[in-house]
Amino acid sequence: MHPALSVIFFTVTSGAGYGLFILLALAHVFGIGDPLTVGEFYTAGILSLVMITAGLLSSTFHLANPKNAWRAVMRFRTSWLSREGVFAIAFYPFAVLYMLGFYINGLELGVPCILFALIGALIALITVFTTGMIYGSLKTIPQWSTSLTPANYILLGLASGATFFTAIRALAGSEVGTIAALAVALVAIAAIGKVIYYFWIGRESITINTATGFTRAVVRLLDTGHTCDTFLNREFGHTIDCAKVGLLRGVVYLLAFALPIILLAMIATQNGGSGLALLAAISIYLGTGVERWLFFAEAKHVVNLYHGRQSC
Amino acid sequence: MKLGLVIDLDVCVGCHGCAVACKQWNTSGTTGPLTDTDAYGAEPSGVWFNRIRSYEVGDYPHNKTVHFPMSCMHCEDAACVTVCPTGASWKRQEDGIVLVDQDKCMGCNLCSWACPYGARELDPASGTMKKCTLCIDRIYDERLPVEERQPACVLTCPAHARHFGDFDDPESDVSRLTRERSGYALMPEMGYKPTNKYLPPRQKRTVDTSDVARGGVRDKLKAWVNRVVAR
Amino acid sequence: MAGFEKIPDFAKELPQFEPRDKQQTHFTTCYMCACRCGIEVTVEDNKVRFIRGNRNHPVNRGVMCGKGNAGIMKQYSPAKLKGPLRRKPGSERGSGEFEEISWDEALNELTARLQKIRETDPKKLAFFTGRDQMQALTGLWATQFGTINWAAHGGFCSVNMAAAGLYMLGHAFWEFGDPDWDRTKYFMLWGVAEDHASNPIKIGLEKLKRNGGKFVAINPVRTGYQAIADEWVPIRPGTDGMLALSMVHVLLSRELVDFDFLIRYTNAPWLVVNTQGQKGDGLILRDENGKPLAWDLEKEAFVDATQAEIKPATFGEYTAPDGRPVRTVMTVLVEKYLDEQYAPENAAKICGVPAEQIERMALEIAHVAFKETITVDVEWTDWAGRKHDKFIGRPVSMHAMRGISAHSNGFQAARAIHLLQTLLGTIDCPGGFRAKAPYPKHVPPPIKPAREMAPNTPLKSPPLGFPTGPEDLVIDADGNPLRLDKAYSWDAPVAAHGMMHMVITNAVKGDPYPIDTLILFMANMAWNSTMNTKSVQEMLREKGDDGEYKIPYLVVSDAFHSEMVNFADLVLPDTTYLERYDTISLLDRPISEPDAICDSVRIPVLEPDRDVRSWQEVMVDLAGRLKFPAFTGEDGQPKFSGYKEFITQWEKAPGIGFLAGWRGKDGEKSLRGEPNPNQWEKYKENGAFFEYHLPESTRFYKFANKEYLELAKEAGFNGSSEPIIFELYSEALQKFRLAGQGLYDGPMPTREEDKERLTNWFDPLPIFYVPLEEQRIDTDKYTFHAVNQRPMLMYHSWDSQNAWLRQILAQNFLYMNRSRALKMGIEDGAWVWVESHNGKIRVQVKLMEGVQEDTVWTWNAIGKQGGAWGLSADAPEAARGFLMNHLISELLPPKEGSRDITNSDPITGQAAWYDLRVKITPAAPGETGSWPQFDTVKPLPGAKPSPSEVRHQSHEAVNLVRPIDDVLSRGAK
Repeated sequence: MHPALSVIFFTVTSGAGYGLFILLALAHVFGIGDPLTVGEFYTAGILSLVMITAGLLSSTFHLANPKNAWRAVMRFRTSWLSREGVFAIAFYPFAVLYMLGFYINGLELGVPCILFALIGALIALITVFTTGMIYGSLKTIPQWSTSLTPANYILLGLASGATFFTAIRALAGSEVGTIAALAVALVAIAAIGKVIYYFWIGRESITINTATGFTRAVVRLLDTGHTCDTFLNREFGHTIDCAKVGLLRGVVYLLAFALPIILLAMIATQNGGSGLALLAAISIYLGTGVERWLFFAEAKHVVNLYHGRQSC
Repeated sequence: MKLGLVIDLDVCVGCHGCAVACKQWNTSGTTGPLTDTDAYGAEPSGVWFNRIRSYEVGDYPHNKTVHFPMSCMHCEDAACVTVCPTGASWKRQEDGIVLVDQDKCMGCNLCSWACPYGARELDPASGTMKKCTLCIDRIYDERLPVEERQPACVLTCPAHARHFGDFDDPESDVSRLTRERSGYALMPEMGYKPTNKYLPPRQKRTVDTSDVARGGVRDKLKAWVNRVVAR
Repeated sequence: MAGFEKIPDFAKELPQFEPRDKQQTHFTTCYMCACRCGIEVTVEDNKVRFIRGNRNHPVNRGVMCGKGNAGIMKQYSPAKLKGPLRRKPGSERGSGEFEEISWDEALNELTARLQKIRETDPKKLAFFTGRDQMQALTGLWATQFGTINWAAHGGFCSVNMAAAGLYMLGHAFWEFGDPDWDRTKYFMLWGVAEDHASNPIKIGLEKLKRNGGKFVAINPVRTGYQAIADEWVPIRPGTDGMLALSMVHVLLSRELVDFDFLIRYTNAPWLVVNTQGQKGDGLILRDENGKPLAWDLEKEAFVDATQAEIKPATFGEYTAPDGRPVRTVMTVLVEKYLDEQYAPENAAKICGVPAEQIERMALEIAHVAFKETITVDVEWTDWAGRKHDKFIGRPVSMHAMRGISAHSNGFQAARAIHLLQTLLGTIDCPGGFRAKAPYPKHVPPPIKPAREMAPNTPLKSPPLGFPTGPEDLVIDADGNPLRLDKAYSWDAPVAAHGMMHMVITNAVKGDPYPIDTLILFMANMAWNSTMNTKSVQEMLREKGDDGEYKIPYLVVSDAFHSEMVNFADLVLPDTTYLERYDTISLLDRPISEPDAICDSVRIPVLEPDRDVRSWQEVMVDLAGRLKFPAFTGEDGQPKFSGYKEFITQWEKAPGIGFLAGWRGKDGEKSLRGEPNPNQWEKYKENGAFFEYHLPESTRFYKFANKEYLELAKEAGFNGSSEPIIFELYSEALQKFRLAGQGLYDGPMPTREEDKERLTNWFDPLPIFYVPLEEQRIDTDKYTFHAVNQRPMLMYHSWDSQNAWLRQILAQNFLYMNRSRALKMGIEDGAWVWVESHNGKIRVQVKLMEGVQEDTVWTWNAIGKQGGAWGLSADAPEAARGFLMNHLISELLPPKEGSRDITNSDPITGQAAWYDLRVKITPAAPGETGSWPQFDTVKPLPGAKPSPSEVRHQSHEAVNLVRPIDDVLSRGAK
């Protein structure tokens, strides 16, 4: 699949944004780690909304006819993209009310505030899930058509959110041992999820033989029926060689998982300062970006079988 | 009704007649124009609803060439419709034709991602997704003669490799051909229940030569005998 | 299904998608290739809405191919010429510097020039045309002008095919004959690259397969039609003649021939003089009236072999009354083909086809011919007046085209295929290979090529004809060619279509003589319709010592900005096919079907938006200006107001004109009748074609069918209603051979190589010989055969500018057999050098299974010169596409002691561009892009740049809106 930068930026940034919001809300409501400061709250809250909004805006750049974007809520009944839109929108009132409540009441947790926080966090989680399901529901792309896809989206969103949250708190000078430990756990789980995913997509099940129905002999493409690229080639024809995949997966392991885990672990064990936390956040953000690029680049749409690919 | 096409791989010679007829009809059709880009330049491209690919099956000299036209299969359980967020993509209840409402599409491409057959192409000029309409602007047109109320690709096919009809009617040509010639659907494992069916190449005809194979005279010329035939 | 008879209720709520009140439909004839399908064009505000096949048309029955469906983009091509152009004074030819001039200026200039030529030395005008299918008119024009230097493109297209058929059967493949698609049970397709004919073959193949018939494709390449064959025979190029003759060997060795057919309808029982080394050897024994003789078994005497009711001997040696030994044709034939050289084991080595397969195929056709015989129970009368209650059919049919004809042994190969058909008795019978009117003609058609020319005088006969002996050659007393292209000279004695491929070379060399003016219509001779493209471009630019171009004046008529236009001194812009009147006439190459005599017309459906005139119109205009007798009234003024009137009024013979339908004053007569001024209207009413259904009793055995033969005479197809006798043994060829042996009473060649060519290749019976280029090069060095095929969706160069079709195919590759290429270290997509004795090119390779191992091939005419055809300089056609033409020389590789000889069939002069042998080596790393590259052709004055985006639409789309409640209420399905 063609890795569209607008979509990569969207899923990575808003995913982290939702993760950050969820961490903020949970930490706030359940008092995880040291009590939040006002500054931390505002920084985390506003940053999460900015990231979410920037991501969503970026996603509209992917649309060829954005004037009809408003219609995207119409097919909630069947479309995961529509559901994503609806939840993305539904998230805002709760997030805003939560922030507003904070503005009015400060760190004091009232019932409405808890409610807004938890509902907001839940919707954020669902939104990330729906994003994952947009891809996970596509049977045409065997590498995506698995529950590992939404799981990865959620785990990576939470992991990067947690890392960001750790960084914000660390930069604010708070004690972040607990939250860093939580982040280590989340990044580690996300890493396990991703390893399983990479293992899982190694198998290719659909072949040019089954796609064409000629199963008794080798089938080779003779002619695509067009000399230059078509929409289909441009959208689905992206290929990546094995060496590059290996290298980039290494980058993902390093930037998205290994480095953040080490840095966060150092922070959690009081062996590092806020600089390391910031580095961890930047690292996981970039690492997730590469992870998302690979997510698209490694995906093999079955239509490629008709364009001569032997299996998907 | 379940309208769709049967494509006979036994006789398709790969002339692209169906693809170009489709282009021709539909560029002025209900979802037209079908934009062409860099039309006379280095990267000529454009929107087509029907494309013909060619495959070779088996190794030389036991290879067979198969021309393989593909367009929208008008799936019963069309994933492109399921995933569409705006409702622009829809499957008509009356006849099963899958369409894109050009006024509603936002050009997110998701339907094309959901389609295993490459049946949908984005028009870069309108920013909307376009696809085979089964010539809905022809097939019900009372002002056309009966024989012409068919999709442009079917009308034009010189090898009569394309058939149009109602799969709900067991007596229709398409149902009968599918039955008699073991018509099959592409990638049934997707579960989208494509309506269009493909007829596999027929078994090769063999000719019995035992009744003429006798003889083999080596000392031939002497064996020839004049027979009396009146001119 | 035929479409909804009753429109379902729900569909009545659909919007009106089409503004029918603004639309008109017109019938005319397609011209996206040479197949001539009938089309119906829907026009809306002078814009084309839709072009579809005409359901009633005899050629295509409503269907249409990829080319035909792309007519809209031809009509709206940015490469259309806008008005007459003259090369800018002082600019160099080929530099692309033109000035716009008016039609008056253009025609005045041309008329003055032509008038001078005609008054002094008419042969100084050479007029050659491409794929025009209006040879009846262009030939008449040349005849009236008085130049013999006229021909169309048949010399590099299919003259071998046409001539072989006409010298043996009186009809031939493609336009002159068709398989009986409805009844045939076994069909062999020889060397047909997806065209000729386009839609009829597709329609026919489907019928054949539906009826359970077997389809065998003999072709080194498996694409297109071959794809759907039941059996593919990947033959080595240029060896088809051997394959056919080996099958003949198998049939003869098993006595699997139709003796009745041979005795009744062929010259098999005729007696051949057997006096080797003496004059008259190999000629037919004839009586004092010139009638061939046979030996009557009952009378035990020599009898006129053309008589009915004789009982001629098929075999035997006899002594003629004058004491000369004679034997029957069949005796000669059987002796020849039973020789071991034709045994499948030996043929297998030459053809690359296993011996068992050759034998099996021969037995299969024999089985179908003799054990699956069919009958059509219709009473008919044979040539001698005898009634028969049925037509017997041997349902084996064949078709062949360029893969056979474009070799230097193609004439004999095509005859070999016809021999195979004839031995089985499958000619013009039910299920067999049927003739299409005006064919069959007598063998060969009794027209001799014109030789004499005089100033201001029309020729006495047409420039092209059918020689039956050396005395018919178009040579002077010293044996030198009289025609510029050297057709009908010792180079190519039976060059029945001329030799267009030699015109530029010969004119520039001044060999046999220099010319003044060359007119080319619709022929891209500066690019793909020539051998040796680069050197031809150089020749067109070549000047003599006097600073004058070797071809002083070059006139080109074309509708589009082709590579050839770039070299013109005067450009006469033609219309598109949708803007012109035209006839596809029975005087020419009509659209008849085996069951019907047909012709058709083009009628304009659009008004040209440019200052263009159809070439037909210009020719009639020029003919009037030049005062050609046939075009000038008694008052000395032009007789016809234009092409339309010329067509209805001109008569070739009383009652015979260009169009056969609706003749007679009131249009009541068919085929023959006085001119009808309203003929065009009748054609228009009838869908632009005329179809005369043959009575059932005249549909088969036309060559010996009294009723048909009389009809053919009445219609002017044949001069007499005598039966047509198939010449398995060609006495005409034997006369040429005797001339080569120095044993002929008449013109004889003096040069050794001519003698050798006549002696070796002019065998009166079909033979196989190694193609001539191959005989002169080192085949260990040039290991591959290289051939061109035409893609099904493009026709020559016409449509690489077509915005739709070029999306499908804008770059050609060199296709190689996968395992063979991999063994040579050549991967898919690699760039390689291809080298012939004549030059080298760099091309990109594609590997495939479906190509014979020793063969490489490409799609013909996809490579383009940048800037031509409205294409950008970096178009794939120019940057990566290529022409094989650069590798092909119009001359044979030089040989010690031999003069320059045309690279053509030595009999017919058919350009032997499929004989090419090449060597392939991988290009160095980094060497990519096709080579040679050419300068970008400059835009013409007033030409707008080609649009980038094309959004053709004849009306605003009416969108079908999905109801909002449906959007909101529907579930998952």
